[in-house]
Amino acid sequence: MRKRTLNRGLAGFWWLTLAFLYLPLAIVVLFSFNSTNSAANFTSFSLRWYHRLLGNEQIISAFYNSLILAIVSSLVALVIGCLIGYGMYRHRHRRLGWLIVLIYLPIVLPDIVFGISEMAFFVQFNRLTGLLEPGLGTMIIAHVTFQIPFVALIVYSRFVGLDPSLFEAAKDLYASPFQRALHFLLPTLKPALISAFFLSFTLSIDDFVISFFTAGPESATLPIYIWGAIKKGVSPEINAIATLMIGAVALAAILSLLFNRQGRR
Amino acid sequence: MANTPLVTRRHAVVSETRHLLFSVMPGAVWIFVFLVLPSLYLMAVAFMSNGPYGLPELPLSLDAFKQLAGFGFLGWSPGNFYTLLRSLWQTLVSTALVIVVAYPIAYYITTCRAKLRPLMLLAVVVPSWTNQVIRAFGWMNLLAPGTPLSDAAQALGLIGQHMGLYPSNFAVTLGLVYNFLPFMVLPLYAAFEKLDTAQVQAAQDLYASPMRAFWHAVFPQTLPGLLAGTVLVAIPAFGMYVIPELLGGGKGMMLGNLVANQFAGGSNWPLGAAGALLMLLATFVGLFAMRRIGKRLGGGEEVVI
Repeated sequence: MRKRTLNRGLAGFWWLTLAFLYLPLAIVVLFSFNSTNSAANFTSFSLRWYHRLLGNEQIISAFYNSLILAIVSSLVALVIGCLIGYGMYRHRHRRLGWLIVLIYLPIVLPDIVFGISEMAFFVQFNRLTGLLEPGLGTMIIAHVTFQIPFVALIVYSRFVGLDPSLFEAAKDLYASPFQRALHFLLPTLKPALISAFFLSFTLSIDDFVISFFTAGPESATLPIYIWGAIKKGVSPEINAIATLMIGAVALAAILSLLFNRQGRR
Repeated sequence: MANTPLVTRRHAVVSETRHLLFSVMPGAVWIFVFLVLPSLYLMAVAFMSNGPYGLPELPLSLDAFKQLAGFGFLGWSPGNFYTLLRSLWQTLVSTALVIVVAYPIAYYITTCRAKLRPLMLLAVVVPSWTNQVIRAFGWMNLLAPGTPLSDAAQALGLIGQHMGLYPSNFAVTLGLVYNFLPFMVLPLYAAFEKLDTAQVQAAQDLYASPMRAFWHAVFPQTLPGLLAGTVLVAIPAFGMYVIPELLGGGKGMMLGNLVANQFAGGSNWPLGAAGALLMLLATFVGLFAMRRIGKRLGGGEEVVI
């Protein structure tokens, strides 16, 4: 009897928590369809803010910046991180403590310290040499820096999960290291590489703080644009662009659910 | 003849080392140049003096740390010091609240049907996939003056007339709890899932009260998960920038905002760098303490993000 009340209480608490988690997102979605410029009263349904989005060149260029940044940085991080992951595995019997520290540093460093260090460094470097002006280039460098560890760890754990005798077999089967890489390493790594790419891509798209401090005047990404718009005073267009981003996340959630289902079968 | 094996072995060692260098070096050099050097530079800046344009200058000095503790030209003014205290307080309160919410939630998920559990975990995590700026913006919309929540708070006399629940310290706490809840639910769920129910059974057989059974048979087993969650919540909460900036207003500032402001308009790089150094120190002390406690617990569980 007592157990049942406990369970009922817990179920109630679960739904309350879900409401707490989804209410702020729901309010953004709801007011993106508001016909008036009010954040408190919903007057009637309209798509006018979405129409305004299409005409807003700043938002469109921010969207392209986000996309370019995410794709380029993920590709660079994939190559560099993959090499580290492989090196860590091949030489796992050596003392690689320094490498582990180096790899965990970008993960444990607070975002703000990360961003400010990079910014201070780029500013001074630019003053001294005239190179590395703040912009997409510096943002890509910063993003690659925080993506490398995740790629390296994913690739490394994929190797650890393999049977070591596979490597011997590959050595016997294929003459050159190049052939080995092409016919053995790449195919076995493919799932790890795909998930590493998507994780890097997500981390980049989702990042605000580090991008914010390494960005230049022309290289605002979507989160930076939204930040600026909020700071200047709330415009309902933010609701619309935020709703589109929430939609993208919802889509990713559904895909991951389907993907997991398939994986389990 | 006798020489050849030795030579090939030597050759092999050399080529192995070369292999290590070629595979690991690009990334190691990248992180060193673009993260280690910049953070070392930032640490050095903390010990320099503030130049005319906010840029650091020699001679070396401890002025930045004095300013951080509140000592300026005009004697002691508590602004910066209060910001430090507020950061600590917000971190403590929000971490405690996150534990209070996440603990029953994580337990409840384990009591549900096995098929439902991944879906429930996903439901908890998905909001955190949205950009944090958008999530804070959602709370701004919910807590602004004139919204039902603010009206209710006014009716209860919690806030003055025509005021909103945001900007305020309360809004910052709420935002932090909202932001970090999934980070606590996941490790706690992992702990609950592995729970050895035989211990609970034994406690019940020995007529322990439910309270005692929980305290002696359940709680210690969830401690490693609780610890991992605390690391994942408290460390980033202490350095939070976005939430206090959007939800806190001038009186809700935390250390992250103090640091950032010194590099933007306010321009006092050494002061900002000193704040960043303090944050770094807190991070490493936190990680180290948790490792020690974790080892003593014997969980030996790796904190995986």
